[in-house]
Amino acid sequence: MSELPWDFTVIPFYFPRFYQAAWLTLQITVLGIGLGLVLGLITSLMRISKSKIIQGPALFYIWIIRGTPLLLQLFIIYFGLAEFIDIPRLTSAVIGLGIHNGAYMAEIFRGTIQSIDRGQREAAYSLGMTKTQAMRRIILPQAFKRSVPPLGNQFIIALKDSSLASAIAVRELLLTARQIGSSNLMMLEMFVVVGIYYLLMTSVLTVLVGKVEKRLKVSDYRS
Amino acid sequence: MLKKKGLLITIVLMLILSLALVGCTEDPAEENGNDVNGDDPSEAAEDVDDSLDRVLEAGVITVVGSGDYPPFNFYDDNDDVVGFDVDTGEEIAKRLGVELNYETSAWDGLPDGLRTGRYDAILGSMAINEERLKIVSFTTPYYYSGAQLIVRADSGITDTDQMEGKEIGVVTGETFMEDAEGLGAEVVLYEGVNQILLELLNGRVDGMITDRLVALNGMSQIADGDELVFAGDLLRLEEMALAVRQEDNELREKLDEILEEMHADGTLAEISKKWHDGEDITIK
Repeated sequence: MSELPWDFTVIPFYFPRFYQAAWLTLQITVLGIGLGLVLGLITSLMRISKSKIIQGPALFYIWIIRGTPLLLQLFIIYFGLAEFIDIPRLTSAVIGLGIHNGAYMAEIFRGTIQSIDRGQREAAYSLGMTKTQAMRRIILPQAFKRSVPPLGNQFIIALKDSSLASAIAVRELLLTARQIGSSNLMMLEMFVVVGIYYLLMTSVLTVLVGKVEKRLKVSDYRS
Repeated sequence: MLKKKGLLITIVLMLILSLALVGCTEDPAEENGNDVNGDDPSEAAEDVDDSLDRVLEAGVITVVGSGDYPPFNFYDDNDDVVGFDVDTGEEIAKRLGVELNYETSAWDGLPDGLRTGRYDAILGSMAINEERLKIVSFTTPYYYSGAQLIVRADSGITDTDQMEGKEIGVVTGETFMEDAEGLGAEVVLYEGVNQILLELLNGRVDGMITDRLVALNGMSQIADGDELVFAGDLLRLEEMALAVRQEDNELREKLDEILEEMHADGTLAEISKKWHDGEDITIK
């Protein structure tokens, strides 16, 4: 065993050199998720509309974004659009991650909205609520509770996907590992360092989502 | 309560995992292989290893470069990897009496490919530096180049001391990041030289630092390359060498011998002139 070519004892020593990158990863992720939630909610409502004109753009957005890799989308936003508009690196990363996750979140919301029993809507109408009121007061609050577990899953994916921002020169965790690792030739060790960072952050995220889930008493709806 | 326990278990598991990993390489001296301290009688006597025999018996020397570093190693129109590094490798293999297997891999994959034995050597314009010497051994240098600052001609920047607080593009993993930081600039890390040239032309970075020869090549290939100019002299001279595993002493000594021959008999100079418009980069 002593013949392993790696020296993992350096890990604690290099750990602090990634603080700033971890902070950047966290920023991209949180902002990207925020944008994704907004886009996702709007798109899901458009998606379930009866009007073809409203539904069309939502379907198109989901089709394009879900059907192509995030890496390509980031490239197009940062390098491709440079011909027309100069979007800074960090902003491009947030927009890319937001648009990408918005498409997935739209489908999560649509699924949970449609999973709310028809009777709920009928009951709201019978109380004299308009369509919008029924959606806002009755359907969405219940749908949101059901969305929490799949959204938590999507947040974790978004956190890890933020590493793709490394391709558009955003010096987040992965790019930092690649820079330090090729300079000191301890690439694998540096990848282990960022692996620990990602694991720590996804663990915290898991616990937080769990807390929200508990608070909303999602389990009330089971049985 | 259950949640807290779960978190605790996770932390404990991670600690065990990291301890287990650390335990694997408790003796850094042994791993580095550069110090024969007599702990292990089988290795104590001299620098005997089978690295050279291994290559000779296999009849092939496997070396690696990124394949994305013209004119040193890159893919031509026929999708063959060619360049100064590749020709140097061919000549080394010929003198060893073996075949050359020039592989390419993303720069990220080179260090661990070498360390785990996938490659016999890195022959991809890797510069010697102190940090890398802790992990690998370098042969005698086969060429010399240096870090050059490039800016837009219309930027008004004429020397390196004007870059403070400005953004400088550097290829991820290259030693030029320290040069950029040394100028007090913000470093922006890109995938490749061509990407940075475009960003520089588009005004999204204020300058770039790369190898002088790579820059010359890139500027001559890219559209509007004549809008870019060198600013100031070389920031630093770099010595490029083959990297081998630290325990592969016999192989390194043989490679040193061959490279010195190639320096002496003009073969390296000839290869250099072929790829660099008649310029000899194999002398300091």
